[in-house]
Amino acid sequence: MVFESLRDFIKPDQSRPAIEVERVTETFRLYHEKGVGLKERLYRLRRAGYTDFNALEDVTFTIEHGETVGIIGHNGSGKSTLLKTLARILPPDEGRVEINGRVATLLELGAGFHGDLTGRENIYLNGAILGFTRSQIAVRFDEIVEFAGIRPFLDTPVRNYSSGMYVRLGFAIAINVDPDILLVDEVLSVGDAKFQAKSLDAMRRIQEREKTVVLVSHDLGSIQDLCDRVLVMEQGRVVFDGPVREGVQLYQQLMESSGPDLEDPDQHERYGSGDVVIRKVGLLDAAGMGTRKVKPSAGITLRVKVVAQRDVKPFSVGARIQTGDGKPLYEVHTTWQGLGVGPLERGESAIVDIRLRAHVLAGYYAITPMITDSNGKRVYDALPRSVQFEVEPAPGGTGMVDFRAAVSVADGPAVNLDDTGREEDVPADPATPEAAKALHPSHATADPRDDLEGTAATSDIVADADEDWGGAPAPQHEDDTDVFRAIG
Amino acid sequence: MIQALRDKLVDLWHARELLRQFVGKELKVRYKNSALGFLWSLLTPAAMTVVFTVVFAFVFRINVDDFAAFFLAGYLAWSFFNNSVTGSIQAVTGNGNLIKKVYFPREVLPLSIVIGQLVHLVLALLVMLPYFVWVRGVGVLTHLPALAVGVIVLFVFTSGVSMLLAGANVSFRDLQELIVVVFLVWFYATPVIYPVALVERQIADGVGIAVLFGHIISLNPMTWFVKMFREALYGEVAPRLAADGNLVDTMQSWPSPELLTVTVTIAFGAFVVGYLAFHRFALTFAKEV
Repeated sequence: MVFESLRDFIKPDQSRPAIEVERVTETFRLYHEKGVGLKERLYRLRRAGYTDFNALEDVTFTIEHGETVGIIGHNGSGKSTLLKTLARILPPDEGRVEINGRVATLLELGAGFHGDLTGRENIYLNGAILGFTRSQIAVRFDEIVEFAGIRPFLDTPVRNYSSGMYVRLGFAIAINVDPDILLVDEVLSVGDAKFQAKSLDAMRRIQEREKTVVLVSHDLGSIQDLCDRVLVMEQGRVVFDGPVREGVQLYQQLMESSGPDLEDPDQHERYGSGDVVIRKVGLLDAAGMGTRKVKPSAGITLRVKVVAQRDVKPFSVGARIQTGDGKPLYEVHTTWQGLGVGPLERGESAIVDIRLRAHVLAGYYAITPMITDSNGKRVYDALPRSVQFEVEPAPGGTGMVDFRAAVSVADGPAVNLDDTGREEDVPADPATPEAAKALHPSHATADPRDDLEGTAATSDIVADADEDWGGAPAPQHEDDTDVFRAIG
Repeated sequence: MIQALRDKLVDLWHARELLRQFVGKELKVRYKNSALGFLWSLLTPAAMTVVFTVVFAFVFRINVDDFAAFFLAGYLAWSFFNNSVTGSIQAVTGNGNLIKKVYFPREVLPLSIVIGQLVHLVLALLVMLPYFVWVRGVGVLTHLPALAVGVIVLFVFTSGVSMLLAGANVSFRDLQELIVVVFLVWFYATPVIYPVALVERQIADGVGIAVLFGHIISLNPMTWFVKMFREALYGEVAPRLAADGNLVDTMQSWPSPELLTVTVTIAFGAFVVGYLAFHRFALTFAKEV
């Protein structure tokens, strides 16, 4: 009885809006990079320890029950911070956020999952985080598993899941707990096409039930498809709040006026002597457009605009690439490639492109652009992990490195399965090993040693990994050069 | 104000399943993969009891009847407090990923550690009970309700202190280093290995430093919780000598109204301060962990 009456407290009060945000400011204290050596530490003592930076500034808006609102804006414009504020992860430093109803959030890949726990345990853990008891989750358990399509992996620790499986599971939980308000950040774009369609469908059903949805996305298509209204963010402020079409137009204008989506490095922590500083930095795709999301093995360019603060001899511009959790993957400097930048006189600038090919599989990665002297001894400027990007999953492979598999059956029968429909081909009984294998095509690959037994025969099926990437094979590296536009 | 407090409590109520899961995880870590399981958690108090009994009952000759029982009664209270606080001080900083990515009432983190320790305490008391009955007589059993009150007030007090320190540790990471030293000193400032009566006798004998020490002891909140445990499990030690030179000890007793008032006031005071401070600190958790 008491339980029920307590539950009533958070039944949404329809007379009040679902979300009220009033004059919210969110301030981050950016500590200047500590570095590891004693020199860097002494250096840090000499400078001010931090600068304040407003990720959100005086943001005010209201969202009514049943509305679907999209939030768009540049990288670093405050979209994700805003969503975290709505999700109560970040309490506002100034102003007021009023949420009226039960909230489910889907902010980051694997947020709220514990890697060592199995899928089954994580469903209950996530349910508990959302405020549900074990029995309440048990009722929805099958629906969640069905929607996520992870039944064969229910008792596998989730750290072995692919990013697609993470997202499917997270999304399945978030929508099946029947929230009044659903907050979604980007993640939907990680799944394969079939899952995306399925999740769009699920979102529509949520809309039909008069639930409130707030969606952060770079994908203007799905914003236009789903939203009744958009907020356009620019430098922590809401610069537009209104109909989707006008909002998207404004956003596109903003994108064009600022050229490729180069980030303003002033918002990042940095270290270095400051002889030459990084003025702008950004990641461009093959078309020369700012990007944060790339296909596996696609060509990308790190473009760095540097400005000399005094006369300098030729120097080196480099980049260090790490996984999202900080594992170092790759480092390159122009001098290592035999190229010195400069000499520059005080006030002169240069634009340096570092072309890369991300031979990695789905995941989040961070780049540290840096300027050093020609022998790499002295750091002029470095912006740790300031450029972040995400590599999309390649269908038909999981792991860390893109080995670009191509499979064939050299001898023996084979069938051509639907490109993306691996789940659908799974037999109903998850206990069969074939079902588990079918989800991971790599497991189904014929062992080459089998060849020894049979006579040589041509294969029926030869699938090339390249062809699976939505019909857009990665551009050739050599061709990239002329595609990148100079920036003003 | 009332509305805000009510919202917070409703929030915490909804997080009860999460709290249950965290506590379960705490206990599982302790008992999984070890053949002796729970017995390990009794090993420390048992070893400490043996060591301190040898040192203080035989070497330094604190003349108290059944020194082992005398020590253990207080030590169980102390070790619960010590383990809870040192365990929960990193409860927030150690869960940065969770704090930065999902919302739940943050106090669940320190509270789950304290509740986990509470389970240990209750199990330890159950296992040790026959020993106390054997040494101190069946009077122990009739005073179990008094012990239960002691456990509850100590739990409330410990929760308050744990929340305060877990929250403060996010911005002042040095706390987790400092706390080790603080607890070492605090242990000796708490009458666990010696009876308060011994200090009182020194004061009566006119030892100057004992007066100062007496003040420190009575200002130390843990003194009162240890006293409550000891009165119910062992009895009290009076500041006078028996014919054989031993300090006279009394049978188990109920906490006096004075003791009850003091402990309840301290416990709830600490809880309110800890809870409010924790919520104040929690405003910046997601940015600082």
